[in-house]
Amino acid sequence: MTLRQKLILLSVFSKTLMAAVLLLALPWIVQVLALRHSDALLRADLQRVRTRIARVGISEFLPGARLNRRAHYDLLQDEFIALRPLSDTESAPGTRRFPTDFIATVPHRQYAATADFRVLHHEFLYHGRRYALEIGKSIASVEEVYELLRSLARYALAGAVLLTLLLEFGVLALLLRPVEQIVARLRSVQGPLPPPLAPLTTTTTDFQYLDLGLRQMLDRIRAGHEQERQFIAHASHELLTPIAVLQTRFENMLAADAPADHLPEAAEAQIVASQTTLHRLTATLRTLLLISRIENQQYPRPDRVPLADLAVDVLNELEDLIADRGLTIHGPDAAARALPPLAPANRDLLFTLVYNLLTNAIKYNEPGGHISLTAEPVAAASADGVPGEVGFQIRNSGPVIPPDQLPHLFERFRRAEPTGQIEGHGLGLALARAIARLHGVGLTLDSAPEVGTTVTLRWRPATGSEAPTVR
Amino acid sequence: MNVLIVEDDSALARELGLYLHNAGYVCEVARTAREAGERLFVNTYDFVLLDLGLPDADGLTVLATARREHNREAVIIILSARGAVEDRVTSLDLGADDYLPKPYSLLELVSRMQAITRRKFNAPQDSFTFGSFTLRPRERRLIGPDGADILLTRKEFDLLHYLLLHTPKVLTRQQLIQHLWGDLAGTAESDSNFVDVHVKNLRRKLAGREAASSGAADWIETVRGVGYRLRKPDPAP
Repeated sequence: MTLRQKLILLSVFSKTLMAAVLLLALPWIVQVLALRHSDALLRADLQRVRTRIARVGISEFLPGARLNRRAHYDLLQDEFIALRPLSDTESAPGTRRFPTDFIATVPHRQYAATADFRVLHHEFLYHGRRYALEIGKSIASVEEVYELLRSLARYALAGAVLLTLLLEFGVLALLLRPVEQIVARLRSVQGPLPPPLAPLTTTTTDFQYLDLGLRQMLDRIRAGHEQERQFIAHASHELLTPIAVLQTRFENMLAADAPADHLPEAAEAQIVASQTTLHRLTATLRTLLLISRIENQQYPRPDRVPLADLAVDVLNELEDLIADRGLTIHGPDAAARALPPLAPANRDLLFTLVYNLLTNAIKYNEPGGHISLTAEPVAAASADGVPGEVGFQIRNSGPVIPPDQLPHLFERFRRAEPTGQIEGHGLGLALARAIARLHGVGLTLDSAPEVGTTVTLRWRPATGSEAPTVR
Repeated sequence: MNVLIVEDDSALARELGLYLHNAGYVCEVARTAREAGERLFVNTYDFVLLDLGLPDADGLTVLATARREHNREAVIIILSARGAVEDRVTSLDLGADDYLPKPYSLLELVSRMQAITRRKFNAPQDSFTFGSFTLRPRERRLIGPDGADILLTRKEFDLLHYLLLHTPKVLTRQQLIQHLWGDLAGTAESDSNFVDVHVKNLRRKLAGREAASSGAADWIETVRGVGYRLRKPDPAP
């Protein structure tokens, strides 16, 4: 899951949570607010009544007094004012059950019907007497306001959530574009080193820093590669030139045409023996240099190489040895020929790889044995459509290699124990592995009685769209 | 045949010059790119043997200048110990005729020079005769005493051809390997026993036919401890 997907999920989740909490709490909040509002109105009314009593006296408000139409008559009957003198027992200290001032929701009988009213109860002294004043407002009138407020709040909430979500998606896409570019660049580095990259265009300092670090790292790797490359070239020149001097000198010593100039036979034999040693040294050195060059990524891979066809070419090259040892070759079978080609690939290197593997299969075989070239049963494609790996196998009927030696055979200068008199410099499989790695090919070795020794080359077919693109 | 050897290692230049001199070539040596440029400007050479790792410049620039400005006719063979991957391609692109990585076999170098000369003067040797056998290199055929073809594998044919070209020289196994396997000789799991296998097969095929006509004769001689050579052919009957 990419960072962007995660952030979008997080955003959606947090908005949903917020909306749910608000929707659940909304009735309560609106109610509290509405009550507060009506309580404030009641207090304001109380203030007005007190002011009026102070100005015109109390008698006007007492029951039985002449009705002041403006003050008392309420057409909708959703408000009332009641003032009554308190009896002595009610007003005596110590007998009080209620605080003198409070606001409460109580049922109130108004004419014939009973309804819930918000009532403000207030007691006060007036000319030596205590009075109780109650001002009430019907709650039904408040409820309607609640409902209106609630639906309004719901719409506003939904709108706000949608708007912020859209905004966040857009901003996220914009902000995170550098991350996607950086990821693409990192992917492209898995192949050969890309050319120097231009800085990313972003104003986010974190990304600028990340990009800078990445490019500096690539530059450093590139510089390291270049150094190594020069070292290899120098080592090659400095080591191979003296060998060339020796080899030409030996050849000159043996080259005399006239019999009178010939060296004694024993001396000639010794020179030839030295030449053989020198040849061995050359082969070792060249192979080591070749492995280094491969690991230094010096080889281009412009070809598409079907391994089965390549193996046929190699077998032709080795026909005499195969005939000499009386070996039978099975395959490559139809399945092996149908394997997807290796691409991008370097044909010359792959030729060397298959040549080494087949030479081993011939050398470490028993006389009259066989070599078979087959395709490994294909692993099914994985769930996300990535094709499974395919395998090409070279199996020989040679003696079993002890399992504890198998993993070490790919190391430089390691050879299996019972090699007897078989010639070799112990670098063939190390070179094979380096070439296989360059091509992203897995190289494994198995050995079992009855079956023989099997070398498997395993790779994931190129889908065509996987070519790394560098932005 | 005039040869310019461009090589900064004097010991190597000396050995190379000696061998070529014995093979009938007239040699001059240049040790730097500058010197090579001057000589190439003044003289005309049939062959230029060019080392790429020169002290004052890349041998490839010498090659490019020579091809562009003078000595367009000279055969240029690159001899390099640098072994960089693109050297071979670049030098062939720039007009080199051949490329031999160091260390090379002098015999192989001279064989290639002779082959180029033969091609150039359009005078390839059409057939080699030894005893009652005839080898036709261009058609890649070996014809036996009874006039029928003897089927040889590619390696057997090349081996016999090489021995014939250099009769009566003794060729060492290493020289034969370098000729037969070329670059693969250096890096693949080559095996000097491979040469013996080919010689053994070749002998068997030749002996099978010889016996039918004029009695067994081992054409390929083993020189103990050194290598192989083709027996000097008797004048054909």
